[in-house]
Amino acid sequence: MNGTVVKNQLIFDFASGILGPAKSLFASTYLQLNSNASKIGSTFEKILGENLMDNENINPKNLKYSDCINSANIKSTSNIKDPVTSFFGNLNNLKWKQVYKGFKEYTAQIDDIDELKLIKMDPGVSVPLHSHGGKEYILVLEGSFCDEYGVYSKGDIQINDQKIKHTPIASRDTGCVCLSITEKDVIFFGKYGSFLNLFTFIKSFFKSK
Amino acid sequence: MKRIQKDRDEMAFSEVFDFFAPKVNAYFIQNGIRFESSEELTQEVLSTVWAKSNLYDSNKSALSTWIFTIARNKKIDFFRKNSKIDFIEEDIREFLYQDREFNLIEENEAKKQIERINNELDEQQKIMIKMNFFENKSHKKIADELEIPLGTVKSRIRHILTKMQGFLR
Repeated sequence: MNGTVVKNQLIFDFASGILGPAKSLFASTYLQLNSNASKIGSTFEKILGENLMDNENINPKNLKYSDCINSANIKSTSNIKDPVTSFFGNLNNLKWKQVYKGFKEYTAQIDDIDELKLIKMDPGVSVPLHSHGGKEYILVLEGSFCDEYGVYSKGDIQINDQKIKHTPIASRDTGCVCLSITEKDVIFFGKYGSFLNLFTFIKSFFKSK
Repeated sequence: MKRIQKDRDEMAFSEVFDFFAPKVNAYFIQNGIRFESSEELTQEVLSTVWAKSNLYDSNKSALSTWIFTIARNKKIDFFRKNSKIDFIEEDIREFLYQDREFNLIEENEAKKQIERINNELDEQQKIMIKMNFFENKSHKKIADELEIPLGTVKSRIRHILTKMQGFLR
């Protein structure tokens, strides 16, 4: 499957409402920042809406329209800002954890099989060549980064699987902040590779305790 | 819908109710929710339609799309009820709906895209989209119900997604 199909799959799954909480937050931020993704999402919702239009009828037994008018337990609409801020709060106030110089991350406390993380890279900082044990989704929230495959700016998404090895470098002018989902831990190569692998191994060891 | 929004017309609402309540109820049952719960959820959906009718914007979407999104959000809440996270999913989705800058040209564009998709896909492919994304059935279940091998279901759905991608730009 190529990258676009995987991206669309994410949008379709979001529209269907089958994503776990981590991926769901990720996808909603993607739709908010990327107008093309948002268009695809609403087109797909329209298709699902037509499915509802043509759906078979199974009548509720004890429900009348007046029950719905008198129902009081509908919560009022909240005025949230955007998905990331409403979930993480102000990003500057987070307790970022420095992984190495110029590279910080913040792991969300979210009860899910997927890991949701924020990543902050200072201008010009790079990540050593690595590949991925499972799928990794990266969405740029601020600034940009580039790797062997291209440049990724605000609202762009990169989906990496086992076959991809890359060396992302944050923009020299702006650095970057990204939202990421990892389905399994990353495998590092190169100079610091074995050290970083050991680090992820130790991290996962403590996590499982 | 205008009569509901402007005049709080209960008769107009009863028409919307009569048309959509059985379809929404069926949607929940197709998604594997037991009958009593499906009826409760249907009540929540239609109550939301009445209580939050001012949020609906006919320039942004068809009524069926709006009601589908409400039903889907209730489904998510229902399946997450047992989980520990207090997630603001519904708020986020409401925000996205309101944030969406949709003008009529794009609406027409979307209509054309859907027409093209509908023309391109055959009946079985449409049924597979419905089963996969509307009823959220697993590939295994789709294979059982349509009596075709699992591998065939997987490759056909991949084929449908690739085909649709050509129309979604």
